[in-house]
Parts: sequence; C-alpha cells; structure tokens
Amino acid sequence: MWTRKASFTFTGGIALILIGMMIANLQMMILGLTFIAFIVVNSWISGHGDVEVQRTLSADNLYKGDDLYVELLVTNRSNRNTQLLEVYDNIPHEMKLRSGLNQMRLNLKPGESARIRYVLRCPLRGHFSIGPVSLRSRNTFNLGVEEMYVDHHSDIVIFPQIKEVEEAFLRSRTPKMYTGATTLRTPGQGSEFYSLREYVPGDPFKNINWKAFARTGDLMVNEKCRDAVTDLYILLDSRDIARIGTVLKNPLEMGTVSAASLAAFFLKRRDSVALAIFDDNLSYLPPDTGDKQYFKILSALAGVAPKGTMPLQAVTNSLSGRFSRGSPVFIISSCEGDGTVPAAVRDLVGRGHEVTVLSPSSIDFERLVSRIPRMSYEVLKLERQNRLTTLAGSGAMVIDWMPDMDLSQALMQVRGY
Amino acid sequence: MLDELNLNYRRIGLQAAFWSVMMILLLSILVNFVNISNTNQLSAYDNDWNDMSAFRQDIKDLGIQTNSLVSSPLLLADIEDPRNTTYILAGVERDTLSLPQFDSDGFITIASEDGYSPSEIDAIVEFVDAGGTALVLDDYGFAGSIAQAYGVRYTGYQLFDTTYVQELDYNYIWMCIQATPCGMNGTSIDPTTISVHERWSGASGEGAHPCSLMNGQSMPLEDAGLCAHHWNNGEIEYNATYQMLLNNITALELIPGVNGALSEVSILAVTSNEATVDVNGDGEIWVGNEVNSETPDLWGQFNLTVEACARKSCDPNEGGRIVFIADGSALINAIYDYEGFNDPNNPLYGTNNCVTNNTKCIPENDNRKWALDFIAEALMSSKIGEEGQPSENAMVIFDESRHPQNALLADSYNTVYFLLVYFTGEGLAMLLLFLGLFIAFEAVLIKKRDPEPWRHVFSIIYYGFGDANRYTYYAKTDKIRQVFLSKVRNQNGLSREEFHAMPARELVSLINDPVLAKFAIEPSKYSLEQTVAVVKRIKAWGRT
Repeated sequence: MWTRKASFTFTGGIALILIGMMIANLQMMILGLTFIAFIVVNSWISGHGDVEVQRTLSADNLYKGDDLYVELLVTNRSNRNTQLLEVYDNIPHEMKLRSGLNQMRLNLKPGESARIRYVLRCPLRGHFSIGPVSLRSRNTFNLGVEEMYVDHHSDIVIFPQIKEVEEAFLRSRTPKMYTGATTLRTPGQGSEFYSLREYVPGDPFKNINWKAFARTGDLMVNEKCRDAVTDLYILLDSRDIARIGTVLKNPLEMGTVSAASLAAFFLKRRDSVALAIFDDNLSYLPPDTGDKQYFKILSALAGVAPKGTMPLQAVTNSLSGRFSRGSPVFIISSCEGDGTVPAAVRDLVGRGHEVTVLSPSSIDFERLVSRIPRMSYEVLKLERQNRLTTLAGSGAMVIDWMPDMDLSQALMQVRGY
Repeated sequence: MLDELNLNYRRIGLQAAFWSVMMILLLSILVNFVNISNTNQLSAYDNDWNDMSAFRQDIKDLGIQTNSLVSSPLLLADIEDPRNTTYILAGVERDTLSLPQFDSDGFITIASEDGYSPSEIDAIVEFVDAGGTALVLDDYGFAGSIAQAYGVRYTGYQLFDTTYVQELDYNYIWMCIQATPCGMNGTSIDPTTISVHERWSGASGEGAHPCSLMNGQSMPLEDAGLCAHHWNNGEIEYNATYQMLLNNITALELIPGVNGALSEVSILAVTSNEATVDVNGDGEIWVGNEVNSETPDLWGQFNLTVEACARKSCDPNEGGRIVFIADGSALINAIYDYEGFNDPNNPLYGTNNCVTNNTKCIPENDNRKWALDFIAEALMSSKIGEEGQPSENAMVIFDESRHPQNALLADSYNTVYFLLVYFTGEGLAMLLLFLGLFIAFEAVLIKKRDPEPWRHVFSIIYYGFGDANRYTYYAKTDKIRQVFLSKVRNQNGLSREEFHAMPARELVSLINDPVLAKFAIEPSKYSLEQTVAVVKRIKAWGRT
C-alpha cells in the first residue's frame, strides 16, 4: 500500500508531466518523470514480514493488580533483510503498560533475532488474550507500507484479588462451625496415616506401601484417617443489576473479591467450599477441597459477567437439597430488584443453615456514577435498610457493605445485626 | 472442507465473470476508437509500393531530420522553428475522435466528420502563419477542413482527364505544374504543350526556385546539397518543367467569396479543358450544357494543385505557405521511385505486372523532382555561404495520425497518444485536466491516510448506571410514607397481616412522634421543605 507521501509524489509527478506538456516545459516534465521513477525504483526495494515470533509470559494465571512480564522473541527466518519492520504486540486495552514498550522498529538481517520486553499491570479480572503480533514493513523512503500479522496468541486468566480474612470475624454462633478440618478415627480421604491393609484391585498405586511390600512380599496399601470438614456454600449474585458502579467498584466486582477471599480462607483450612453463581443461568461448583477446587473457583469467578435476572429463591430451591445439613451459606448480593430474597433466606435458615448475607450497598455504588437527589437517596437507603432488617429478622447475619469499606471491616458488621 | 472448496470455486468464478465483463466493456470502447485496417498505406514509415518510404529516405539522405506525428497536429504549436519545418500530410484516411472542445467563438463543440478538430486546424494555420511550410496530399479523405481554412475545397468526386496514361488506365493522369494545361500527342504528352513552373522558373519576376539561382554552377555532387537531383556532369542543370503522374484523383475548387488564412492563393496546375468529374459516382460520365438529373456530371477544366502563400513571392523567409494537391498518392513509392518499382532485376516494392510481364509499368515522371524541389525551396539555408545546403534546424514532419494501423497495439498507442495531446493541447481538455488534477490532489489529501502509529491505549472506563427514572418516584410522599411504615413494621417485628390489622391509635403510639404519626396517618400535601424535614425525622426515628 502506498503511503500518503507516495501518493502525493505520484500525483505530483503526473501533474508535472501533464502541465509540462501543456506549457511545453521540458524541465517540468523531467522533474515529473523523476518523481515517477523515484516511486518505481522504490517499489522494487521493499521489506518483508516473514518473521517467527515467540512470546513468553511470566505466568498464565495472575491475581488482579499483579504484574505480568512479557518477552517477545522476533526472528528473521528469511534470506533477506526485513528493512524497516515495525512489530507491535496487541495487548488488551484493559491491561496497563507499566514499563517497556510492546512495539519496536527493527531491521533484522537473515537469521537475526530481537527481543521485546515489557511489563503489564492487570487491574481487571477476566480471561484475556495477548496477541496477535502486528507487523508493518516500510520501504526505505516510507513510500510503501505493508501490514500483516502473526496469529500468535497467549491466553491469560486474571483471578479476583484475595483479601485477608480474619478468623474472628467468621466465628459462628454454632460451636465447631468454621473450625477447619478435624481428624476422625475412621478410614477415608484425609491426610493422616490410619493403618495398613492388603491391596485390593482398584486401589491407586500411589497408596502402595513399598517398604511393607518388600518386607512381607504382599502388596500393602496405606489407609488414611478421614478428615471431617465443613462444607461452605457461597452464592454469588451476578445479575445484571450487579453492574451498577464504576469498573473497579461495583457490587459484582466486590462480590467476586469477597467470594474468592472467603473460598481461599476456608480452603486453606481444608474445608470444602461450593460456589453457585446466578445470573441468567445457575452455574454450580459442588463442594470440594484442595488447590484444584481453589483454582476452579478462581477461574469461575474470573469469568463472571453481569447478566440476567434469576431470583435467589430459584437458586435456593434448586440447590438447597444438595446442601449439607447445617452448613454455612454465604449469600453475596446487593439484594436489589429481587423480591424473593427474604423468602429464600427464611427458607435456608429454616433448613438449619447458618446464613450470612454480604450485601454491597448498590445505591452507594450508584452514587459513584450518578447524581442522585439527596432526598431520593435517603429514601432509597431507608428502603434498603428495611430490606436488610427484614433479612436479619429472618435469622440471617447481614452485612451492609459500603464501597469504601474493606472486606475485613465489612465482616466485622456481622455483630451489628 | 467441501464447503470451503465450493466457496473458493464460486469466488474464482465470480472474479472471472467480473473481469470478463470488464474486458468486454473495454473492448467495446476500444473498437469505437481504434480502427484496425488492413489497408495500411501512404505511410512514410512503411516501404510497400503504396507507402512513401522512398521520399522520406531521400529527405534523410539530404541531411534533413524527419519525424512522424502520430497523435495530433496540436503538437505543431510546440515547433520551435516553423520556418525551417515542413509538415507533410498525405491521405487523411481517418476522422478525428469526437471530443468536446472550444470552437473559434468560444463555444463548446464536438468535432465530427471533419478529419481534424478546430483546434488542430488552428494549430496547422498557426504553424503556417509562423512561417512553416505544409504540403497536403489528399483526394477523398478528410483533409477538406484544412483546405477550407484557406478557401479551398476538395470536391471529393473522381476526376477523369484526357491526359491519362494509356498503357496503364484512365485513373493515371498527368499533371503539369504550369499555368496552362499540357496536352497529349497520341500516347504521350505533347512536348509543345509543356511549359515551366511559372514562379519557380523566375518568369513571374519573383519567387524563383533557389536551385534555379544555382543553375549552371559547377560544383561537386556533395556541394549540390538540396539541388543534388539537378546535378549533372559536374554542374547544376535546373529545369522548371514538371510532369507529375497522379492516380485516382479529385479536383480542387476555390471557394467563392471566402478569404482564407493566407492572402496569396494561386493555382499551380489544372486539368485539360476536356476533364470530367463523376459527381454521382456511377462510373459513367453524363455531361451536358447544364447539370441536371440526366447529365449530373461536370466537365471542363479543374484545379489540381493550389498554393497559398503569405506573400506574393512565396518566399519562405517572408512567411509560410501551404500547397494542396488533389491526389493523396502523388508521392507513393510506385510513382515516386518508378525505377525501383519497375526494376525487373531488383524490384524494391515487391512483384508487380511490370516486373513479371513488363506490362503496367509506371512511366517516367517528375514527381520526385517536384517533391525534392518543394523541400529544397522550403528548407534550404538562406545564409551566405550555405547555398544549396539545408538550414540548421531543417525538419520534415510526416503526419501519421490519420493513418489506420494494422496492429492493435500501434493503433491503441496512437489513440492514447492522441488523447494525451488532446488533454495537454486543447483548451477545454486542459481545463478538464486541471480540474481532474485538482480533484486528484484533493482526493489524495482527504482520502489517503497513512496507517496510524500503533499505540497501546489503556482504557477501562466503564460506568454502570441505575434507573434514574426511579429517583423522582422515591421523592414522592406516598413512597416515603410506605418506606416509613415498613420501617415501623420491621422495627417492631410485626408481620404484614399484624401490621395491617393494627388500629390507628396503636400505630400512633408505636410511632411515638406526633409529626411522623400525622405523616403516617393523614395523607396531605407536603411542601418540599416539609418533606425533607419528614425524611430527616424518619431517618432519626427508631435509633434510640
């Protein structure tokens, strides 16, 4: 593709030739021909984008706010120089360039390589992709430009931030609730040794006690004590109404942070954590423990987007049968625009669950982006307080979570209701 | 995979169809403008019997530069030294392209059936006015528009005369360049009727041919220069008699009452008194005392060569001149170089009846002598000491722009070149061209954009707005009352049924605030200030 300069040179050349012919001015015609010849000769000398690109990331998964180190290795695999080649690594606009540059102008000789290093800050959770790599080759006098790209992508998942949660804030009114894993003297899945027994087909090889096998000549397997764990259920409201606020401060964003933090806290104590996200659908991760569950929960939370209007009661009706008896349930919802919340909470409490409602104050998030008349704001707040009071009256622990409040601070309010 | 293949075929098919239609359209346009003819003749650059290569070669041998004009006579305006330039136009076989142009009155016209556009004729006239010499040889072609500019008309009807070459046929007619017609004595020209070129011989007192001034001078052939064809045995032997052989001719008329571009118009050669013109073209001559449907043809004496000069002397140093001859083929190789044409041992222009059967041989003629004398008069140097030699810038231009080519590329090239000259020489076209260039520059300026520099833009701007319509609803008294009553009910742990069944007196005592109690029980209108005060009170209510 010709650049503007080339187009002007060409048009100017033609104009000079024609005007030169009109006024019978040979010098003008020669000048015009020189312009045209300049374009023609330049078109013979062009660069190319036949390069190999390899991108290396410091991590495939990150937490929101972390830095990602990227290195791009560009190698000229052809037998001629690239001429002036611009290389640009396309990065999502949600990522901030913290240091270095994601582009470079190169003139690589055959077989030569160059590295582009830069650091990205990832302020938003989500699933992102870095790439493709755009290439733009220019000829010597910038008369011709050719654009192409190398279809090389690197996927990355940005998890929600994990906040520190103090145990004291999560102490239950029920004894032995939220106390983490306790060992029971019965065989099962756990971490402590219980006994040796003979190998039965189907036992995993990793459980075979090779020393006992050497000693006795029979295949023996280790049995572990069963860990008794608490099953914790987190219900995250991801309805469309949860989007109100700014990009970093809105009920959904705070909800994902709190869900991830609670999950991290309980999984670290070897409790089982289940996660249900409801928007226009219900997606449910059954209770489980360990790093794998932790990764699953974070991955699920990374991809959450506000949509739909599924009522909470539909969620509890669908899932309450699967909840372990007496297990604690965390409902993270602004409780706006859903008249079924009191009934759903009452139902869960009635089934013996320890229900905690963590409710980001959506009206205060809305105030960050909209100018709400003072009186309307006060009445809206009163209505919200009435709603939370109703939930507290149903037997749930209710937390009114203001935008400028840390999760730990918010959890302290449990006592207030 | 199969779908992708089909899609590919369809795309290729579509492309092929598109380009086919484009080619058909282009060809249909080209066919209108490009005439590929098999009768490529009268060209100074071809050496068939009916071309003029021998004449051109003679001119080159005299040391005069020869050029062809393949586009348009508009280029004559760019000739730097018209005085020493001779423009030769033999056979205008093709009409000009009909393109819009300004006429002499400044109006836009489209030239058609004229051979040359008004601008081209203007260019020729201006060239002659500037001292140039022009020779127009045509019969039934399109040279009429040029002749009309000088008050001369090509009749366009075939002329027959008694002075024809009997061993050939009646199409071959003798023309003597002299004031009175020459006659026949049997099968050849009667020598007693032969006279001399009136001006060139010096009989008229002025305008004698430059070679006549060198008559009798002894010199080597190399010094004879442009008069070399008169050199014989070491001296110049100038002879002003010219018996030219013409083929298939027409007649020239002086248009009565029309003053041409040059004032001095003279007739150089005429037919005999018994010449006839086949007006209706039926191949038969029917003449009478008057022209009617029974006797439509003409008879009498007709003009064959007309000369128009700026001065009576026709001296090239005093102004330009133009000569019209009523035959386009007067200088073709077969007649001009009759010796080469007839030579049975070394025929220069292919076989013919003369070469094979010694019949239909072209008789001896003075066409070459006249043509070279014409060139000599026009281009001989007038500097002292350079007598007989061509002037420094001497040049002969052959107009090839109106000869159809027998090759598509050659004709296309000529057409494109014609358009190029049209757009750089014709006033209206130049205006259009300037407009086109201006638009092209504007288009480049506006439309052509360089690729934007790549730049990463960090952008996470996002605002999630709530429903702003509900703000006014929440400022209404009824909504505020509802919210307050809900607060009262929640604060006292009452169900909806219990609360609705509660007597008003009991509700008042529960509220325990006369202002709020009145607000809750007595619906009435509240001003904005009152509503604000009530909301503040509701907010504070129940805290103690």
